[in-house]
Amino acid sequence: MLTVCHLYPDLLNLYGDRGNVMAFVRRCRWRNIPVQVKEVNIGETLDFAEVDFLFLGGGSDREQTLLNKDLTSRTAGLREAIEDGLVLLAICGGYQMLGRYYRTHEGEEIPGLGILDLYTEAGARRLIGNVAVEMLLDNITVKVTGFENHSGQTFLGDVSPLGKVLAGFGNNGRDKQEGARYKNVFCSYLHGPLLPKNTVLADYLITLAMRRRGISGDLQPLEDALEERANAVMLERLLKNTG
Amino acid sequence: MGLRLSIAIMAGKVTAIVSRIMGWKGSSLPGLVARKIYPRVLEELGKQPRLGVVIVTGTNGKTTTNNMLACMVSGSGYKILLNSEGANLITGVTAGFIKAASIKGKTNCDYALLEVDEASFPRVVNEVMPKVVIVTNFFRDQLDRYGELDTTISFVQKSLNGLMGNKKVTDQGVQLVLNADDPLVAQFQRKTGWPAVYYGLSGSGRVFSAGSYSREAKFCPFCGEALIYAYYHYSQLGLYNCPGCSYRRPDPDVEVSHLQSLPDGTDCLVRYSGGSTMLHIPTGGFYNVYNALAAFTAGQLLKLDPAQAAAALRQFSPAIGRMERFSYRGKPVMLNLVKNPTGFNESLSAVLSVPGQKDLFIAINDNDADGRDISWLWDVDFEILEDNHQSFGSFICSGQRAEEMAVRLKYAGVPGEKIFVAGDLGQAISRVLEGQGSFVYLLSTYTALWPVQKILLNQAEKGELDAHRMSSVS
Repeated sequence: MLTVCHLYPDLLNLYGDRGNVMAFVRRCRWRNIPVQVKEVNIGETLDFAEVDFLFLGGGSDREQTLLNKDLTSRTAGLREAIEDGLVLLAICGGYQMLGRYYRTHEGEEIPGLGILDLYTEAGARRLIGNVAVEMLLDNITVKVTGFENHSGQTFLGDVSPLGKVLAGFGNNGRDKQEGARYKNVFCSYLHGPLLPKNTVLADYLITLAMRRRGISGDLQPLEDALEERANAVMLERLLKNTG
Repeated sequence: MGLRLSIAIMAGKVTAIVSRIMGWKGSSLPGLVARKIYPRVLEELGKQPRLGVVIVTGTNGKTTTNNMLACMVSGSGYKILLNSEGANLITGVTAGFIKAASIKGKTNCDYALLEVDEASFPRVVNEVMPKVVIVTNFFRDQLDRYGELDTTISFVQKSLNGLMGNKKVTDQGVQLVLNADDPLVAQFQRKTGWPAVYYGLSGSGRVFSAGSYSREAKFCPFCGEALIYAYYHYSQLGLYNCPGCSYRRPDPDVEVSHLQSLPDGTDCLVRYSGGSTMLHIPTGGFYNVYNALAAFTAGQLLKLDPAQAAAALRQFSPAIGRMERFSYRGKPVMLNLVKNPTGFNESLSAVLSVPGQKDLFIAINDNDADGRDISWLWDVDFEILEDNHQSFGSFICSGQRAEEMAVRLKYAGVPGEKIFVAGDLGQAISRVLEGQGSFVYLLSTYTALWPVQKILLNQAEKGELDAHRMSSVS
């Protein structure tokens, strides 16, 4: 049985983020892999050691402020689980919170959890639009699409980017990097949501979660024609535009 | 400045004629042109309505509420001016006034009834002083354009606050018409200080607790505690109170109860100070009860006779894509606009409430006017279809993002063999009309709406109700 945890579904669910959880769960169920979903809100107990796939979504500033204290109190457990190979997908606000700090327009530094070596600064304009990113997953090159909408610009320290921007802005609109990858932690600005129409990534996360449980072997392939078309249509549109 | 005003109006009117000849849909272009020539054109024309200006704002229901109010006000014998549906930015509002104005710059109307986009509200009230402001509701809508919901709400609130110090309002003031059931709207009286009249639905109306994912107001706008609900009507609308402070749903001054869904609309009882009357709302959809109630409440502030207002509402017929009726070889066909999770959830529940086998068409575009980000489709509770797909023969996905709509249905649990993708609107519509079901339902985002309606008009017949359809301007 795989356990999926959507952390703060009430607060961090800004752009249809729950679609990532749905995609992970559906794709397990279509293969008869037993899976359960836990929704954990402020003040509720959570043992990260029992989680196989953790999802952290994005939220508005107000919502992120509300949960800051609660999340901070969980830092030690989360850090330990991450070092142990916990599969985690963090989008937008969730991504920023894993870093060292967020520096506002006024120059104030709001501390993050400090689990990943990266930081975010408020940018002059919002980076909004469709995005295409090329990433390498288990030695397979994959083109992933999504939508980004963030004013924070993220810069990576001692962590790898998740992929290379083919179209759109990515982490900061400057270095052509998108997202971050540390062990089994996947961070990204792509919502849209990410997993349903990027099935290779979705299945890769499932595989990693299963490997960590000691279940090896390839996943049974699914009929993904619709998802592949959705992805291809957006790629064609974006890559044509950038020449 | 009379001459410049005249030139601006003339230029606006010429632009409107040219636009029409060219077949452009740009109903705000005349306003844009006139404002370039004479930036104070709206300010000058906006003070002319003899009895005042009414503004409707909020996320959902602006067009319908404004058109319903127009029915009631003109049905009570007043001369009115409207901005045309959807033209609810400052240029569109200006265009509405120009259309009604003579070349000499006279508008000759008792009331101007304006629907105004939330983000444009500050600019509009800066130029046109409203007598009554109706706020319908606040939901997440087009985040890529407006940023966060809190920002949108603060636009409206701050500009209402700003009117307090405005010399032009001192004698009459602004009266608010607020949705008591929406905690994000009901907060406005206390936050702005303007007097308010509240409307709401009684608990016996409908109790519905789905849609929890798209609920916007989980926390008290005053103290930040989680709100406690006795029940929800839909999304965050319901009977709420805050355990942390004294904030609670205000008792409505005008309240609806005894709702009854009928094939041609909804019957209900409306209670107001001094009496009650039956309302027949000649269009389906639960949210239209709120729209009718908002319009009726504003009508009370304008001192309309309640019975006359109720009679006038019977003549209302929906604007394009607001539960617009057609028929195809005797089969009922409905077209409805979808633009955000709450509206989409309501449309789905309206479709599911119709007995019998249906075919459903969904067109999703992602142009600026639709919202370029379509992630909100994942906040719609399509999961309701997993247990109800038996009552659908087919789901036909169309528009620029047809494939992604299809993916959404698949992950909601709709069987793959019932999902069809046809990016071409014409093909998709032919297919849904030829479906085996006894009822066809078409949902479309904004920029697909006119093309879809045009194709429907060629293939199907307009429903009877629309014989009385009120044109939105004039």
